[in-house]
Amino acid sequence: MFRHLFTLIWNRKRANLLLISEIFFSFVVLFGVAAVLITSAKNYLAPHGFNYEQVWRLEVRAGQNLKMPRAELDDVLRQVKALPGVRTVALTSGNLPFIFNVNNSVYEYQGKKSPVTNYYDADDHYNEALQLHLREGRWFAPADDGSNHRPVVISQDLRESLFGNGPALGKIFTWENPGKDVKPEDQFQVVGVAEPVRMESDFSAAIPTAWLRLLPYDTTHWETANVLVRVAPGSGGELQEKIARTVAGVTRQWTSQVRVMDDERLHRRRYTLVPVVGLCIMGLFLIINVALGLFGVLWYNISQRRAEIGLRRAMGATGAGIGWQFLGEMMVVTTFGVVLGGLLAAQFPLLNAFDLPVQPYLLAIAAATGAVYFITALCAWQPSRLAAAIQPAVALREE
Amino acid sequence: MQRAAKHDVLIIAKTMLRSYLKIAWKVLMRRKFFTFISLFGVSFTLMILLVVAAMFDHMVGPGTPVKRVDRMLFVNAIRQQRVDDHGWMTMPASIHFVDDYVRKLKTPELVGISTGASNATAFTKSKLLPLDVAYTDGNFWQIMDYDFLGGRPFTKAEVQQAQQVCVINEATARDYFGSTAVVGRTIEIDLKRYRVAGVVRNVSAANFYAYADVWLPYTLSSEYFKDNRLNGVFLPVLLAPSAAAMPAMREEYRQMMKRVEIPNPKEVKAVFSYADPILAGITRGILNHQDQTMDDDNLDSFYLIMGGLALLFMLLPALNLVNLNVTRILERSGEIGVRKAFGATGRNLVSQFLVENVVLALVGGLLGLALAAGALALVNEAHPVAYAHFALSWSVFGWGMLLTLIFGLMSGVYPAWKMSRLNPVAALRGSGEQK
Repeated sequence: MFRHLFTLIWNRKRANLLLISEIFFSFVVLFGVAAVLITSAKNYLAPHGFNYEQVWRLEVRAGQNLKMPRAELDDVLRQVKALPGVRTVALTSGNLPFIFNVNNSVYEYQGKKSPVTNYYDADDHYNEALQLHLREGRWFAPADDGSNHRPVVISQDLRESLFGNGPALGKIFTWENPGKDVKPEDQFQVVGVAEPVRMESDFSAAIPTAWLRLLPYDTTHWETANVLVRVAPGSGGELQEKIARTVAGVTRQWTSQVRVMDDERLHRRRYTLVPVVGLCIMGLFLIINVALGLFGVLWYNISQRRAEIGLRRAMGATGAGIGWQFLGEMMVVTTFGVVLGGLLAAQFPLLNAFDLPVQPYLLAIAAATGAVYFITALCAWQPSRLAAAIQPAVALREE
Repeated sequence: MQRAAKHDVLIIAKTMLRSYLKIAWKVLMRRKFFTFISLFGVSFTLMILLVVAAMFDHMVGPGTPVKRVDRMLFVNAIRQQRVDDHGWMTMPASIHFVDDYVRKLKTPELVGISTGASNATAFTKSKLLPLDVAYTDGNFWQIMDYDFLGGRPFTKAEVQQAQQVCVINEATARDYFGSTAVVGRTIEIDLKRYRVAGVVRNVSAANFYAYADVWLPYTLSSEYFKDNRLNGVFLPVLLAPSAAAMPAMREEYRQMMKRVEIPNPKEVKAVFSYADPILAGITRGILNHQDQTMDDDNLDSFYLIMGGLALLFMLLPALNLVNLNVTRILERSGEIGVRKAFGATGRNLVSQFLVENVVLALVGGLLGLALAAGALALVNEAHPVAYAHFALSWSVFGWGMLLTLIFGLMSGVYPAWKMSRLNPVAALRGSGEQK
């Protein structure tokens, strides 16, 4: 049966070559769209690893190149924390979640290098504000002031890349290529391990993360202080204005702005969503286009091959047999296109393109294969039925 | 005599073209389903290309307030090469750099400055109003053509005296005051008070150099330093006296960079900066690979990449159309056989088929234009970018028609060639065999 189908296809190789190339390109398009969709969906369904609800971002800026004396900044934080409705305030670095601001670096432990890692400054109250999920150890505490090294909390994915399955707590790692004498503040001692976090956007993958404890003397050369404020549910604009006026009440030199983290998440989401939606629309249009074209070509081919069908029917083939033959022919042509496309698509996981894990690529290949077969079968179904319904006497009389 | 012969040839060509067009129309109407599939492919392909082109045009083409875009150069950054391979530092210009170098250039008619928009906050009755603030000088308002709903821009004198004045956009006026007739009233931003000098129509946030909610004199900026540093936050805009003077102005800027004195030679080895039209300014940054001085604006490679992507995108619909066309030739083998038997050459048939395909593509192109207008209306409704209004322009329309023609030819050549090679005898029998 299959040999027969192959012979039939080989006899019409030039016409089929066009069909095969069309199916090949459709496969590539579907593969690309599926890879993007599967990766985004997988990320979207994973937990964020922290709680962004009821968290505000307070940015305090010293004007005109003024530095930020610790005493005044502490005064601001104390007064903001005392406001009714404010639960916690925590100092951190400028690369807060969901804004377009990234600090990253590579770390090293006994010659073993981490992947590119996001790092955040964090004080002792940071975990109360963002509510990370700690797996091992603890968060920073005032007792860490006496530590000789810089206490850090790392995410589970960073822990795996630096320490593997061995113990991590109490271990000391450094920046990449530390050199001979490393300053104590550049020696990072692990005090805790948190679940992986996704702080970039709703659709981004988890990135290895390190939280470095903010050293007490660090603020003196700041021009900007970034503060996380956890507020009571239902707090709104009134409290935002109160916070701004409180900052201005301490010193008129400083300006401040308050933003809601959840708003920034939605804002960032729109930025990430627009290209994905655009890609999907393009892909959908291309596939509809191809499906219509395939339908037209197959339908026409059937009416061209009426004589052949009539002859086969006269020789005793059943209508259903003829229908299956046309469907089968189309499936073989599809297989050629899919195999070619699959060979191309397989290069992505093999060459580790875009540094993505293998699994989404394999899923995308499977999804694209399924979709291509489904679409071609759908397009071949109606023409095959037409072929099956051809009466031998009518078809042969035409000839 | 010779002229008369030429005239005859012209008439024959004309009548031939007319009959081709007639045949094309008949063929299109004969198989409505096939025509629908072809038109669907052509029009949607063009629609997507046109929507992308309209967005591109919105970003880099002329539009309020950057109307005289063909006479403007922008300076995005000054790149400083640090000594001992300590890397590169890229930031916009300082006032010292603008005043002592850029403003002293001879070619530009005007030099203005602005900053990218930065965040600020105003409070209305218990509501927080996030604002984007930019700082500008007096010249900026003469280079850009903002639509003033009321009032006027702030002047050079007001900038020099660092007066607390501002220009706000329509949206801010409505959100803060509830109306747009607010010239002379006071707005409190970041707890500082400014007098409203003018109200302008909203400017699209995609317009990097001209967008803001509130404009303030640059002398009020916290980044206004009077020392001799080169890096700051300011973006100089140079207006040439005419479009023809643009290359000269660009070259003079290039020469000027050679004279720039480095204030901290112990840390910085060399400085680089370029004055570019909008698009070149973007491509210089994003398409740069190895050359850290960014001497090449990469405009050619940009066009090459975009052209390649557009062709790649058109490939699948074109292949689809080729497939359909090849199929339809077989359907018309009877007609072709008759024409061949009566002495039509292969070239005649090829040109006839190409005319048919181009007619189809042009009809699809016009449909695509209508679809693109509809799609852009939907996009505008969704407000993906603040205050942006994407629209089709004549240049986009022209590009669209050109793309359609390419598309029509791309999908017509192979089937036409195939058609011309049909064996007349076989064709007359209707079996579609080849020579």
